[in-house]
Amino acid sequence: MFKRYTYLIISGICLLLASCDHIAEFERLIYEKPEPAQRIVLLEDFTGQRCTNCPKATEVIEQLQETYDEALVAVGIHGGPLAFAGNARVVGLKTDIGDEYYNHWNLEYQPVGLVNRRTPINYPEWAAAVKEELAKPAPLSLDGTATIEDNTITIHIKAYGTDGTAQGKLQVWLLEDGIKTLQLMPDGSANQEYIHNHVFRTAINGTWGEDFSIKEGETVERTMTQALESVWNREQLSVVAFVYNNQGVQQAAKIKVK
Amino acid sequence: MRFLVYLFACCCSLSTLAWERKGLTISGSIQSDMLVPQHDSGTGAKKTGDFLNNTYFDLMLQSKYIDAGTRFEFLEYPLPGFEKDFEGWGVPNLWLKGKLGKVELTAGSFYEQFGSGFILRTYEERSLGIDNSLFGGRVVVKPMKGVTLKALSGVQRRYWNWNESLISGADAEVGIEEFIPSLQKSGTNVMLGGSWVNKYEKSDEKIYVSPVYRLRIPKFVNAWDVRLNFSRGPWSVLGEYAQKSDDPSYANEYIYRKGSAAMISGSYSGKGLSVLLQAKRSENMSFKSTNDVSKAIGISSAINHLPAFTQDQTYALAALYPYATQLADGEWAYQAELGYNFKKKTPLGGRYGMNVKANLSYVRAIDRQFHEGDDLVAKTNGYTSKFFKWGDQTYYRSFDLTLTRKLSKAFKLSLMYVNQQYNQLVVEGHGGTVHTNIYIADGKYQFSPKVTLRGELQYLTTKQDQGDWAYGLLELSLAPHWMFTVSDMWNSGETNLHYYQGLVTYNVGQHRIQAGYGRTRAGYNCSGGVCRYVPASRGFTLSYNYNF
Repeated sequence: MFKRYTYLIISGICLLLASCDHIAEFERLIYEKPEPAQRIVLLEDFTGQRCTNCPKATEVIEQLQETYDEALVAVGIHGGPLAFAGNARVVGLKTDIGDEYYNHWNLEYQPVGLVNRRTPINYPEWAAAVKEELAKPAPLSLDGTATIEDNTITIHIKAYGTDGTAQGKLQVWLLEDGIKTLQLMPDGSANQEYIHNHVFRTAINGTWGEDFSIKEGETVERTMTQALESVWNREQLSVVAFVYNNQGVQQAAKIKVK
Repeated sequence: MRFLVYLFACCCSLSTLAWERKGLTISGSIQSDMLVPQHDSGTGAKKTGDFLNNTYFDLMLQSKYIDAGTRFEFLEYPLPGFEKDFEGWGVPNLWLKGKLGKVELTAGSFYEQFGSGFILRTYEERSLGIDNSLFGGRVVVKPMKGVTLKALSGVQRRYWNWNESLISGADAEVGIEEFIPSLQKSGTNVMLGGSWVNKYEKSDEKIYVSPVYRLRIPKFVNAWDVRLNFSRGPWSVLGEYAQKSDDPSYANEYIYRKGSAAMISGSYSGKGLSVLLQAKRSENMSFKSTNDVSKAIGISSAINHLPAFTQDQTYALAALYPYATQLADGEWAYQAELGYNFKKKTPLGGRYGMNVKANLSYVRAIDRQFHEGDDLVAKTNGYTSKFFKWGDQTYYRSFDLTLTRKLSKAFKLSLMYVNQQYNQLVVEGHGGTVHTNIYIADGKYQFSPKVTLRGELQYLTTKQDQGDWAYGLLELSLAPHWMFTVSDMWNSGETNLHYYQGLVTYNVGQHRIQAGYGRTRAGYNCSGGVCRYVPASRGFTLSYNYNF
């Protein structure tokens, strides 16, 4: 009887030892080369001024932008329950369109992001998703200009078909950098001096963009205008253009407003 | 409507099914909660569908050697506030149990708890949408009196799927008094227990701490627990300690640090007096059965459970700011409870006696000194922590005093005072510290053996969050079948909104039907330190319960 229990205990200890998986400090990090960019990747960051974890997500975006530079276009969309509409004293960055996007993608928490409009993922997963998307060749390239004249922004988008046919929607957004206003921080404090970058301001060609199609070797051009609003800082504006369909974002571009 | 007719037909047929013959027993239950939601611009409640309902149907067969059970769930259009993956319908739970002498074998879905649940607790809590049962096999052996051995292995349920990790474990409990006659003679019970749980997950999840550095996530996570329970007469003491190996996760911000939980709990219960004293320290004990961030966020996939060490409040305003255990960040939690029955016909007890109950809870952050600087490897160590040192933040503090006294043969009165300090930022992720004073009066008058009227008056004062609240309730019971309830919760401090509710309940045999109309506020619904956010709602409600 005792023999049987001894065998049982020894087997148990062996099992326990076999299942140990201690990872030493020097083994925890695995280096991976930055991915050479085959396309420009769009990262939609669903954020909010009352979201205490959102500054952590912003840090991840800053790191990614440092590594991938212009190959990553980030947009901070203030929508959902933790976005702040503002009041008489504090500037709010929430937009109705931001709310519409938040609800459309069935998002449940913040911060959360869409990398090239794939599955919503949390910020620790963004780097992996960005790498994966960067490696995919794009069927088109995008470029353009954006200029201000008489309180009107004129946007000219030029697309070149580079591989097969791309069909979907062309979406053009207006972003603003360098907005100093309230942000709740991870420690719960309210930072009134927080600088919000790449903030989504409006959708220039409708909430879901306009129909778009391009063939390999073809050039498609579009021109559109947007009235300048007084709360926007004209020195800090930029335009983001991207083509998307059911397979996600096919190509994106960021154009500085001059 | 078709669903209601179907449900009624099911119940009629089942009422003929409950029987016991030749040693075989069939039993089960039906629970269905329904809501016809309406848009409410005042509270922001949305009409999220035409008809929402959560329905559960449990069926169990028992015999001398074999038990079997299953559960059908219809959650395709669930009540508001559950996670999106909660939606669905089907038969998620199915089990078969063989009982052969000292051995019990289970195959299929099962619930299990080792000790206080520090390293393993699978359970069902429908109000929170929790069913973290395991699907696999379990063996329970009682080789001799006072000894219970368990071993199990399985995958954990997450709504309509099973998480990919394999959870295995073993537990042993020995009643020492069975082997030492002198302990038995003196009426002393000493239980020694030990457990081990292992999670194996070959995760594809790629987590980067920077754009060029990816984390190596351990495939195995081990946790163990030891406990000693001593009881003699009215006295009882339980000491328990658990530890978990490195388990970098979204909850702990991907740190490689052991988790631990230590608890001591002492109680006395006798001669009208009861005393409970408890202390617990936990850190980095979030233990989930998935590394997938999107699945690990929220209350699903938990392998373990740490009790909250705070009073589970039942009165509406006292439950307005409930505490949720901080598994990942850790906490020092203390609780003291005193209950005393003043005897009848004594100066304080009066003609019918009086019960006094006081509870003091205090939950504090643990000391955590985070590694500073840009060294990515150092950051993965997380922090250092001195065991007995507190952190800066108070998470929760409450003091309750309840007096219950029968003032006449027909009238019973309970008076309660609650003082709370609630760290809304830590529990809900927004706001600051909320200080409340809550005054509650609960009176019950029995007009006749069949007619009882109960009323509640509650008032909450606070300068924070949404300010003051008032609450009133009247409940008329016409035994044995009917109960009529009307209530209103009024936010007088900020929104001036009324959350009214009217309910009619009818009980007959094993059936209970409740119909109502009302508004519910957005807030947290908690049970045992686990909380679910419930959005505001308004509409017609119908609940049906049946046990057979």
